[in-house]
Amino acid sequence: METRPWLRTMKARALVRLWSIFGERLWIVVNMGFPILSSLALSLLYYSIGATGYIGFAILGGVMVAFWGNVLWSMASQFNWDKQEGLFEIYLTSPASLSAILIGMSFGGIIGTAPSAAMVIGIGWVLFHPVVAASWGAVLLTFLLTLVSLYAMGMTLSSLYLTYGREAESMNNVLQEPVSMVSGLYFPAIGGASPFPFAIQAVASLIPLTIGMDALRKSLFRGMDVGSIWPSLVTLAVMAVIFLVISNFALKALENRGRRDGTIAVRIR
Amino acid sequence: MISFRSLFASAWMGIQHDLAWTYPPVSLALQVVAPFASAMTVSMIYWFGSSNSGPGVLFNPTQLAYVLVGSTLYAHVAAYAWVPTVAIAEGKNLSVFQHIYLTARSTALYVAGRALSSFAISVTTSIAALAAAYYVLGSFLSTTVPLTVTPVTALMLGIALVADIPAALGLGYLLGAYSLYASKFEWSLPGYVAGLLMVFSGALFPPSILPYPVSVGATYLPFTQFIAAARVAIVPGVSGNYLYSLSLCVLGGAIFLVVGLAVYFAAEKKARKDGVIDRRMA
Repeated sequence: METRPWLRTMKARALVRLWSIFGERLWIVVNMGFPILSSLALSLLYYSIGATGYIGFAILGGVMVAFWGNVLWSMASQFNWDKQEGLFEIYLTSPASLSAILIGMSFGGIIGTAPSAAMVIGIGWVLFHPVVAASWGAVLLTFLLTLVSLYAMGMTLSSLYLTYGREAESMNNVLQEPVSMVSGLYFPAIGGASPFPFAIQAVASLIPLTIGMDALRKSLFRGMDVGSIWPSLVTLAVMAVIFLVISNFALKALENRGRRDGTIAVRIR
Repeated sequence: MISFRSLFASAWMGIQHDLAWTYPPVSLALQVVAPFASAMTVSMIYWFGSSNSGPGVLFNPTQLAYVLVGSTLYAHVAAYAWVPTVAIAEGKNLSVFQHIYLTARSTALYVAGRALSSFAISVTTSIAALAAAYYVLGSFLSTTVPLTVTPVTALMLGIALVADIPAALGLGYLLGAYSLYASKFEWSLPGYVAGLLMVFSGALFPPSILPYPVSVGATYLPFTQFIAAARVAIVPGVSGNYLYSLSLCVLGGAIFLVVGLAVYFAAEKKARKDGVIDRRMA
């Protein structure tokens, strides 16, 4: 495989995503809406019951829900929407690699979502002054690995969604809230403080967001360094590789099946 | 003029749209998942915060019921208030809407029908979500969530749900008016509205903790009063006056509906005049 066309494809798709977000400034503001407001509401819930020491959990959850929403609605569903718009046919007839397109989409999505995340942090900080005892190196490393594994999961979902027709949107609606709940975006979902029974904690641990959130809380609010949270970091890295491999296989398999059955470019089923 | 036949046809179309994309019972069950997970999330935040904050903060089952009922009802309102926006935006995108605006009736009837069908579905899924969360929370947290369910309290809850329809429909018309005329950001608007309701409708915490004068505005929103009335009906020990909250909900709802319809009719008239009503990209 030649590297240059692959990289150019990735860059081109990332630029399309960035242009679609930053080219229309109002989009930046619009994208901030739900993460900021949900984070604010849940911070106020912690505040109203006197649990002010945990307001930082709600703010961190608001940061990560912005990325999770982006993965679900702008990664997982994207090929499906491209199919409806007739764009997917163009991808298929061009020599561009679908994996490069997805990775470009991920880069664009991460950079495009960053303003929302930053705004949640800024507003949360100004309004609530959450208590932070961070090991910043560990926080940064965990954050990056969480994003890589999360977007790799988005690539896998994107390839699986190619088999769906109109059901894709309903699948997103079904996935969004339960994953937010079991992955512990706003409260610990795994470990001693989790309200979940062991079986649910075990299943939740298969989602990168669960591992990432747990490690982020430990490094950001309890000052745990890389040496203390390394099992989570290794797990996130392994998950990223596994999801990338699965998405690559799934894309090829579904593309072949779609070509054979003549359904790959059918717009609405 | 109200045509019940058109209203019924639109509502039936809404039911078909929302449920018939797969086997309807499966579709209905899938629609329970999001409100259930949302109610569980906030209930667990309450449980975690109140159980781990030291001696000054105590876990109170009544407060858990307060949060559980509020979050379920907030999700219910958010679920059907955004339907007009989606019905119009999706209709324009898939070239369905032009067939509706070409008929003799105003598209407002179509929007009302879609919202009412969504209300019926959302009531079903919200009550199912509340029941499921009640049992699962009891099991996970080893506690009993105090809810009073008798024919009388169920009737009171039902009346409160119906009393909130004008307010939600009014909000729907306001959002729908935007969708009629624009093709940007309409998909994100409902997210904004859901977030605003979460903060200002008293779903998770009393609006009185918000800074003045925001707290006053939030207290008198019809959505806040609807949730307050529903809580008085089914959560024992919650302070409040059912009839007072219900009256404020109906009054506020009437204002929302009149304003929403006025804005919608103006937007529809202008959109027809400007020729953008059936354009995918306005």
